[in-house]
Amino acid sequence: MNPEPFLQLDRLIHEKGRLGIMSMLGATPELTFTELRDALSMTDGNLTTHIRALQQEGYVSVAKSYQNNRPLTTCSLTAAGRKAFAEYINLLEQIVRQNKPK
Amino acid sequence: METKLATENLQVIRTLMERAAVYRRALAPIMLLTGTLGLLAAVAGLLFQVERPRGFAGLWLGTAAAAVAGAFLLARRQAIKDQEAYWSPPARRVAQALLPPLLCGLFIGVVLIVPDVNWVVDFTLALVWMLFYGCALNAAGFFMTRGIKWFGWIFILSAMGLVILTLLTNSSLRPGSGNLVMGFFFGALHLAYGAYLYLTEKRKTTA
Repeated sequence: MNPEPFLQLDRLIHEKGRLGIMSMLGATPELTFTELRDALSMTDGNLTTHIRALQQEGYVSVAKSYQNNRPLTTCSLTAAGRKAFAEYINLLEQIVRQNKPK
Repeated sequence: METKLATENLQVIRTLMERAAVYRRALAPIMLLTGTLGLLAAVAGLLFQVERPRGFAGLWLGTAAAAVAGAFLLARRQAIKDQEAYWSPPARRVAQALLPPLLCGLFIGVVLIVPDVNWVVDFTLALVWMLFYGCALNAAGFFMTRGIKWFGWIFILSAMGLVILTLLTNSSLRPGSGNLVMGFFFGALHLAYGAYLYLTEKRKTTA
């Protein structure tokens, strides 16, 4: 078995919480902080930490605005994030394929 | 071990992506309700000979309102049962996609029953094209950025505005006014939007 694909997996995305964030954002143009928090059942602090880590890597962009005079934080995947997520999925599929019984 | 982990992660990704993107309310009860209401309305229309424009529009717009309200209640009940948010991101996107065409249908239905207006074909056709084009742009906007959805709404609302203006003043019903409308909206407006995009678009730094 070739161990390479598993070693190539992006460790930043591989963490459960961040994988959830990337998956949700990968399927939609953007989501609000509240939508992400509710869908992933995370605490505000936990989600903020994960988003910050993804933002620092350039995978996620965060926009702050106002809606009905209330602050609104919106997250979306950057082009780099989308590419990294696609590569991550490709590697997972490669691992599954190469270990499939023939 | 690695394969198991990879399979599990792929499953998690699939589930979360579906949750974020796909509207998952069961459509069967909604379709059954809509079908039943439609059949009942048709039977009532035939039985009571509802054929005059106002009665016909009233019957079917009323039926549509009942179907939309019923669909809303059914979907909401499902969401509560599944302990999920009703106004979820997919629900919001479905509503956004449905709103313009439904609104245009409602608008045309209401306008066509207003009597004593002699609609000139070229002008009317221009307005109908604007409505459909606006709906198309709005739908495409879900896969595009840069304000295409709003551009679609400009067409829809402008067409509605022109219809209302025509009804109020009866001034736009001259042959040839269709070309003016087409030239302004499909010509000038596109040029203006193109220029705006050209001037505001971030230049690519890499090939």
